[in-house]
Amino acid sequence: MIAKFFLAVVLALLMVVTGLSSYVYIGSRQSKVAVAPQKPTAPTPHAQAFVLPGTIYLAQSGALYSLSAGRFHQLTPEVGWTQPSLYPDGSHLLAVKRSAFFSDVYELTTYGGVAAQLTNNAAPPRTAWDTGTNDWSFYPRLSPDQRTLWMSYDGPKYAYNNYFDVDMAVWAVPVGGSIRQGRAWTNANSYTGGDMQPIVVPGGIIYTKYSYDENGNRVGQLWFTNRAGSAGKALTSTGADCLEPALSPDGHSIAMICTYQKQVSYLTIASWNGSSLGGLQTLVTDQLVAEPIWAPDGSGIAYLAPGGPVAPFQLWWLPKDSYAPPPPSPIPTPTPTPGGPHNAPLPSPTPSPAPVAPVVKPIQVTTNLGFDATSPLAWSA
Amino acid sequence: MPLGIKPGHRARKSRGRLSPLTTLTLAVLAIALSAVSGGFAYFLPAAVVAFNSTSQTVQVPSPSPIDILFSPSPAPSPVQQQGAFTVLLLGSDDDSKCSCDHFLTQSMILMRVQPATKQVTMLSIPRDLYVHLSTGGSGKIDDAYSYGGAGAAIATVEQDFGVHVDDYIWVGLLGLIKVIDAIGGIDIVTSNPVMDDYYPADIYGGNPFGYERVAVLAGPQHLDGIHAMQYVRSRHSDLQSDFGRSKRQQQVLQAIRLKAKQLAPSDIPALAAAIGGELKTNFGLDQVAQLVPLAASFDNPDAINQVLLLPPYTEPGAPGGSLVPNWGLILPLVRQYFP
Repeated sequence: MIAKFFLAVVLALLMVVTGLSSYVYIGSRQSKVAVAPQKPTAPTPHAQAFVLPGTIYLAQSGALYSLSAGRFHQLTPEVGWTQPSLYPDGSHLLAVKRSAFFSDVYELTTYGGVAAQLTNNAAPPRTAWDTGTNDWSFYPRLSPDQRTLWMSYDGPKYAYNNYFDVDMAVWAVPVGGSIRQGRAWTNANSYTGGDMQPIVVPGGIIYTKYSYDENGNRVGQLWFTNRAGSAGKALTSTGADCLEPALSPDGHSIAMICTYQKQVSYLTIASWNGSSLGGLQTLVTDQLVAEPIWAPDGSGIAYLAPGGPVAPFQLWWLPKDSYAPPPPSPIPTPTPTPGGPHNAPLPSPTPSPAPVAPVVKPIQVTTNLGFDATSPLAWSA
Repeated sequence: MPLGIKPGHRARKSRGRLSPLTTLTLAVLAIALSAVSGGFAYFLPAAVVAFNSTSQTVQVPSPSPIDILFSPSPAPSPVQQQGAFTVLLLGSDDDSKCSCDHFLTQSMILMRVQPATKQVTMLSIPRDLYVHLSTGGSGKIDDAYSYGGAGAAIATVEQDFGVHVDDYIWVGLLGLIKVIDAIGGIDIVTSNPVMDDYYPADIYGGNPFGYERVAVLAGPQHLDGIHAMQYVRSRHSDLQSDFGRSKRQQQVLQAIRLKAKQLAPSDIPALAAAIGGELKTNFGLDQVAQLVPLAASFDNPDAINQVLLLPPYTEPGAPGGSLVPNWGLILPLVRQYFP
């Protein structure tokens, strides 16, 4: 027999505990959709189970990180840093620092220290009231001699008198000089957003140009130009809707993404002969691929893509074997042996099945992170 | 009789105790009751929001005789498909420029859902379309909501487009931002850089009449609520203006739908808290419960038709910079997708 008073107290406690437990348990069953990505330098979990050669530079939440020997290092605070690229000699980084109203290109040490500010895009105080007098600089690159800064820049603008078009053009500016010493190399199509992401190739630049196709859809195309102000030539069709080019270390291939005007993005490569592209070869079709980059040693392609239905953009690695498998070993053919039997027919080689290239799938390098998928990666050997 | 124990004391003591079976029964009941109470407490805020947001009564005004005269064609008798229904999605400009309750609808999407074939058709109605309003007179179609709420917007669409609207969903600007943030953002392929030097700073800018700069770069990316809103709302750098914006709105809606498929029932209170008063619909709670699994079952992007009323369906030239509808082309198109 149990005393009623004692039972009442126990039951009350039990109800409180059960009610709270029920509440907490249901709350713990929430999906992971709204879980914020971890910082790459978070101690747990150890994200990368796969070590890539060299050092990769990436951006997340306004900070730059390096990934070297399987370990992340935070290079800058989270104050709008994005779009790192390497000096051709690997000594420094270029990067964009983005504010609410403008962005500027900076030279950074490979440890993230600011060495120099290369553009000055904030509106002058006398026109600060007009948001349109600020400027954007994005996607900076250096020429091989490190004396010319290439970037997408939104000047000159005609935003006054209710003319609201803002289009980026590819500019070349002397390093250390002002934008007035620079020159627009491309002439953007109006009301498209303009020309983006130039990469320097021998003899010119390849960039992404946006235009309206015959159906009125805005699409990206890779273009090549070798002269300031020239129209250049389209390298891909409007239907393929390709963007984000990256030149291979040997200079003979271009990696890019193509969306075919849908909410997909395929990792695509094509040969490059210095003036035109070969046929497009699609490598990855089941992921939302962004910002491909070749390994400096040519051993594969890294890119960003979601790590799952609810995971933001992670780092992925596609080994070269998946798109350029090693040639099959030759089938041994019997040869007559000197001194062998006379007049005997040579044995015919046994037909063997054609070698099947191994299916090499992309490898997910990180988990639980959330890289900026509009920030190209930089990779040093 | 032992010393010190009076007669009847044992009986009183016995009445103060319960048998083990009764105790066990009470314990089980208490556990069950408290567990249910815990769950009830968890979902109560969501239930309150759902109760306040759903089952909104809509007064659809009858078109006035003069409107009937000007109406391009009488509404066709709807051919009922198995379970098909038509929803009017309204996205409203509920900015802080005024304290009034007269919002324009910056986005109007007529959506036909066919559960049997798992097909969806989304027709974006240009906000600047010059039509006869159900409240009387003519004007831009985005005025209808500001004059008479959802009922006027529905009636205007019904009378001008010759369709029957079964239900409506209204979402405010902040609601869209909060919903996207509540589901952890969306993965989307932005079709081009969206650059805008004079984007309204009416949400978080502090000055409802001020401007801010927008640069949403192109390509695959993860967008939070505020940047997704910038992507769908900006129209200054778009040659197609409102049409281009409609395309982007449909992209974002699809991305939200894809992400929402990953939600669990336990996410509902957080979502409800995010939505707050930024969503209204005439759907009842029971209908919402049926719609959630239905929406999740639509997994073929090719089964979603997107229709825009680009020229020659509409042409510029109407008063106040609005668009002239070419009803001769629009109505057959509408009948095709909204029988």
